[in-house]
Amino acid sequence: MVVKLAFPFLAVVLLQAAIAAADEPAATSERMSTENLAIWIDERFAEAWQESNIVPPAEVDDATFLKRSYLDLRGSIPSVSEARDFLDYGSGHRRALLIDRLLNERRRPDKHADRTAAHWATVWRRMMVPGNTPEAQMAVRLEPWLAEQFVANVRYDEVARKLITATSDGQAMVVNPRLGPQGTGPALFYQAVGGKPETAASSVSRVFLGVRIGCAECHDHPFASWKQKDFWGMAAFFSGIKDGSVGDLQVARIRPENSPTEYTAAFLGDAGAVISKGKTPRQALADWMVAENNSLFAATAVNRVWQHLIGHGLTESVDDLDKASPAERQILDQLAKLFVESGFDMRWLITGVCKSKLYQRECAAMVQADAEPPPGQRPIKTLSPEQIFNSLEQALSLPIARADDSARFNGLRTQLIARLNEAASNKPDEFRAGIPQALLMMNGRLTVEATDLNQSRTLRGVLDSPFLDTDGKLTALYLATFSRPPRDDEKQFLLEHIRQQAGEQQQQAYAEIFWGLLNSPEFVLQK
Amino acid sequence: MSPTDFTRRDFIKLSFASAFGVSYSGWMPRLALAAEGTKPKACILLWMAGGPTQTDTFDLKVGHANGGPSKAIETAVPGIQISEHLPGVASQMKDLAIIRSMTTQEGDHDRATRLMLTGHRPGQEGVNYPSLGSLFAKELGDEESDLPAYVSVSPFRFGFSGGPGFLGPNYAPLTVSGESDDPEARANLSVENLKPPAGVTKESLERRMEISKFLQDDFAVRANSSSTRTHKANFSRAMRMIASNAKGAFKLDEEPAAIRDKYGRSRFGQGCLLARRLVERGAAFVEVTLEGWDTHADNFNAVKRLSGTLDPAWTTLMTDLRDRGMLGSTLVVWMGEFGRTPKITATTGRDHFPLAWSTVLGGGGIKGGQAIGSTGAAGTEVADRPVKIADFYATMCAGIGVSPEHENISPEGRPIPLVERGGKVIEEIATVPPKKKA
Repeated sequence: MVVKLAFPFLAVVLLQAAIAAADEPAATSERMSTENLAIWIDERFAEAWQESNIVPPAEVDDATFLKRSYLDLRGSIPSVSEARDFLDYGSGHRRALLIDRLLNERRRPDKHADRTAAHWATVWRRMMVPGNTPEAQMAVRLEPWLAEQFVANVRYDEVARKLITATSDGQAMVVNPRLGPQGTGPALFYQAVGGKPETAASSVSRVFLGVRIGCAECHDHPFASWKQKDFWGMAAFFSGIKDGSVGDLQVARIRPENSPTEYTAAFLGDAGAVISKGKTPRQALADWMVAENNSLFAATAVNRVWQHLIGHGLTESVDDLDKASPAERQILDQLAKLFVESGFDMRWLITGVCKSKLYQRECAAMVQADAEPPPGQRPIKTLSPEQIFNSLEQALSLPIARADDSARFNGLRTQLIARLNEAASNKPDEFRAGIPQALLMMNGRLTVEATDLNQSRTLRGVLDSPFLDTDGKLTALYLATFSRPPRDDEKQFLLEHIRQQAGEQQQQAYAEIFWGLLNSPEFVLQK
Repeated sequence: MSPTDFTRRDFIKLSFASAFGVSYSGWMPRLALAAEGTKPKACILLWMAGGPTQTDTFDLKVGHANGGPSKAIETAVPGIQISEHLPGVASQMKDLAIIRSMTTQEGDHDRATRLMLTGHRPGQEGVNYPSLGSLFAKELGDEESDLPAYVSVSPFRFGFSGGPGFLGPNYAPLTVSGESDDPEARANLSVENLKPPAGVTKESLERRMEISKFLQDDFAVRANSSSTRTHKANFSRAMRMIASNAKGAFKLDEEPAAIRDKYGRSRFGQGCLLARRLVERGAAFVEVTLEGWDTHADNFNAVKRLSGTLDPAWTTLMTDLRDRGMLGSTLVVWMGEFGRTPKITATTGRDHFPLAWSTVLGGGGIKGGQAIGSTGAAGTEVADRPVKIADFYATMCAGIGVSPEHENISPEGRPIPLVERGGKVIEEIATVPPKKKA
């Protein structure tokens, strides 16, 4: 049984609450507190659900909340001890405290905030440069810069501005103290998406405005209202991007290949707006994009955060905001306005969403094939390749230092992520895998070592521990992989499996169970 | 079509073309061909990585300076001559059609590979084009099969890796590695991670499967979603592959030693044997790679050596397919990413040359015994009957009984044709399959 240390722990909890509260984005006179934001979100959806006669799902239990918040914020399942700490020591506010700690805790040994920032940098990079091409892999070098922005909680309009106006001239190589020289900062984005004005225009419009204008490069868009001149008007802003360098021309004009027409820079959907003098074309574009009255920018930012946390954007398609109906955009636009008023504060927004009751509800029960959850309700989410590696690293108790030939640094992580990426979807609610991915999880080196009685740290830790009886061993394996204790029916089935193996073979039974847990849908899908 | 590929694609509702494309799966032309008694079932691609010379294989220029020392021999078809180093292939000419007038524009390995393997020029409008194997696997493959539809044996490519593009991971290739330093050695052809580790007994494997089933069934009840179903389907498929050991396809030892010798004890030779076994067991598209054709130097020795590996393997593949009654239902494609310069360089080599080069088609719905087009005395340009990538793709489609006008729907709802607009089937060697009437 687990040993409880009541008083010292409570003291630590209270101290942490005080620290967390100090780090948390404060309520200022211009904006509401995160608690009030959470309440606001719940009220909006309570109204919406009532109108549609939808009964909201119940709140999840602590174990589900624990795994959900760790994966969504920190990008990895919790360790066994982190899980035990959360599940065994109750306090009324422990869920809110956990959110605060995951977002703000910078002290050792946890350093949650840094890991959370690194995870969000990965999420953002995957969103900005999707796909599996070598160019997309180049974009991984954007992550250290993105992580810096998340750690410092730089205003999102500033982040966007830095990205849009980034140049490659005179850029010092960003040197990460742990990993060595990294790319060339935000300008790398343009190279990763193709290094041409057309690809830059396409990507920037999708990433920051949530509209896809790529089709209109060659002809008027068949489904949306964008015309060729709209596309090339945007591409003109990026006419200084060519031949591997990222800069700005004096005058923003562009002539498409094989075309007689020359296009001047024009803001998307706002062609009449004047481009102010004294600024480079991309500075002007950035000004226009992050302006308070640009309904697409703030809404897209909110939509993307929402999509990552809940699993599905507030509108049907996060990359087609121009097609969303006014009804769909109602809550999104209101929330976007609050986001703008908060000073484009990402951490404030994330905290508010995670503290809402909405975030704590069960996934929508989807009885029909391909059914979509009602607005504001979660679908089952899939883990990204990076989350799968991080969770394996945690569940397998792998060493994490370079000096220990750890999987994180000796190439195994790269290999696993590359293989999973070959199949992975860009959307959190869509699980995709082929046979090579399944075979990798079943018989790949990490799994083989994890289920080998001699090599597996987790198995050795669980099997050698004198404090754990059969029940305790099974619980430890469940906490390691699913971050929850086994239910009674699970215990019944699996304990029978263990009992059927006699003597020496009993240890093998645990290895088989561990294999089953690692390959179960519950490990790669998230409720 | 997998239920997970096109969920929530409202754009499908908007377009007539997409409704047409979603339902049309190419079965109509296949039915028509079945009426004739030949139902295309598979395609085998022999991929010559590096860009194989045409002047020393299928389009010799004996007597011209560009011809070099290469000599020609008669084939089974009077009037068609090919390299003396491919005598076996020469004997198979009645079932092969040489296209001597291929003309493409890409001279860079990566771009040219992309062009030849997707049928579209790279970088167009951001579409992630599926590779040939994925396209054909979708048309010919059986989703319920224990074997993946698309298998790639010892792939080697410059750059582009040939994935399923927007068709998704169900059509991704299963890679069979060909790790062997000694090209004459018994080829070490295996699927990564297919075999459970050595210590795991059959009983242990069964117990693992029982535990998995319990956990999966439980999760399916508690967390029903399309993601859950996809995971289960994929897991089951992988388990079936493991349990059947890929239906024993890789047990090359089952084959008589004589047959294995005839294919040649090279990685490529045994790879062709494996391809035949895979097609027998239901694989729809198998590609086998022979690399080393990028002969910028010492061209003639290299080509002689490569031909020595290629000839027995390809010849035996053709006779093997014919003997088993599979030739009429299996399209065979021989190509690389481009040809090589007719003019010999200072290093006794030939450089990249996409303007006039050769590919070969056979089996399936292809009428063999012909050589299409010509490149003139010097071989430096197409003199007659230019065949562009779209025409080539149209002809391959005809070879497996799919209408060249067939389209797939991208996740954004755009209809993406298999064949670039304007592609025409080479009617001398293939019949245009009838298209479905609207």
